[in-house]
Amino acid sequence: MNYNDWTWRYFEAAPGAGELAPGPGVTRGAAGSRQRGTWIQFDLAWRLGSGPASILSARFLAFACPHTIAVAAWVAERAAGRGADPTLPEPLAAIAERFAVPTPKLGRLLVVEDAWAAAVAGA
Amino acid sequence: MSAATYLDYAATTPVDVRVVARMTECLTVDGVFGNPGSTSHEFGERASSLVERARAQVATAVGAAASEVVWTSGATEADNLAIFGIANYYRAQGRHLVTAKTEHKAVLDPCRELERRGWRVSYIVPDRDGRIAPQAVAAALQPDTVLVSIMHVNNETGVVQDIPAIAAVCARHGGSRLHVDAAQSVGKCAVDFEGWGVDLLSLSAHKAYGPKGVGALLVSQRRGVHLEALQFGGGQERNLRSGTLPTHQLVGMGAAFELATADSAAAGELSRIERLQERLWQGLAALGGVLRNGAAEFAVPHVLNVSFEGVEGESLLAAVRPEIAVSTGSACASASSEASYVLRSLGRDEQLAQSSLRFSLGRYTTGADVERAVTVLSTAVTRLRRVAGLSR
Repeated sequence: MNYNDWTWRYFEAAPGAGELAPGPGVTRGAAGSRQRGTWIQFDLAWRLGSGPASILSARFLAFACPHTIAVAAWVAERAAGRGADPTLPEPLAAIAERFAVPTPKLGRLLVVEDAWAAAVAGA
Repeated sequence: MSAATYLDYAATTPVDVRVVARMTECLTVDGVFGNPGSTSHEFGERASSLVERARAQVATAVGAAASEVVWTSGATEADNLAIFGIANYYRAQGRHLVTAKTEHKAVLDPCRELERRGWRVSYIVPDRDGRIAPQAVAAALQPDTVLVSIMHVNNETGVVQDIPAIAAVCARHGGSRLHVDAAQSVGKCAVDFEGWGVDLLSLSAHKAYGPKGVGALLVSQRRGVHLEALQFGGGQERNLRSGTLPTHQLVGMGAAFELATADSAAAGELSRIERLQERLWQGLAALGGVLRNGAAEFAVPHVLNVSFEGVEGESLLAAVRPEIAVSTGSACASASSEASYVLRSLGRDEQLAQSSLRFSLGRYTTGADVERAVTVLSTAVTRLRRVAGLSR
């Protein structure tokens, strides 16, 4: 399988891979299953205060194919400054195009989205 | 030339330069370019002479008589000729075949085609070591079984089957012939067509440093085996496989088989490969969570198939692909990659079968290649486990 530059870059570097220490202001959400081949987890650190909550930083873990790891890493990288928005930074179709995700794999992006939404829901 | 280290010799091998030299003598106007079937003149006679020499080389390498060699385009054609040829010839005797779930597709697909045409096929499940018990073959035989097809060296795990014992089971049955796919065997372990008591044996040149596009089916004359031809048009190869013989390909296969089985060289090469494989296995096993597929004590040292716990298969292959060329345990690295049916038959779960790699070593593999593979795999597996939150 061939991967485009976006996928290669984010798969190889996997920026933001890891976990945040549990505590106040940190939420966690996961989706999928390792046994079924795709599992994603996001940890989000929130700026707490009187105004709307916003994300300070994000980490992710992924047991997944290169496309899915790359997308999860990209989502985590773009998290800082976002509010409690359960949607991904771009529509799924745009993300699929950016990372040249093959059509049969599009369902895996839903796992990324579900994990993200679960993490945001804890805010 | 790729910068990657080639560790996929079970898929194919480069042609030995000594083989290439022999082949190129059979192509141009200055060489032996005649049609080996045109024995009315010197050009054809010289080509025919080389073809017969190659036939003898192949036969000698596997313990057969030269007259038992039927040239084919490769092991896949040889398997097809054996299975359909026997099924068609003996269809009045019976319509049942026995094979194993771990066979190559070149055997399984013809069997499935015969099922579509009304034959019955029993598929034996190997034990966890990857071995087919002769008793399992005996239990699968039925009164109308006309063929048992069991491979010698498994292409994914390297596990070697006890062909003489299986041949003895077939002999006791009386009505069933034994076909053996030995595409992976030559140069890796001894093949003794006559001594084993086998009826049909498939061979491939390109797994043994010969050219692609040529192979052979050995058909035992001593055992009185008959086949129905699948291809017509010239009556070559005792009417079993018509078509002009490709002299250069056959000469290449003969030379390759002679080199692969030359006694002293083969013995030294085997121990060299054993040492390399042991180093590779020790290096990978040090990662932890690495499982060997197929029992080492029953496998040729050229093939090492391992599953990596906590690693997704496509990502593993993608991570190592720029630096080492290996085969994956999934049918393809596409969206719906299907885990290896061979490893699933050995009892590996879907995830472990999918996260497996087959390393196959060969004549040009060096210690440095193995060290590089260990380093690349260690880095990739450690990184992917970390990304998956499964660091050890």
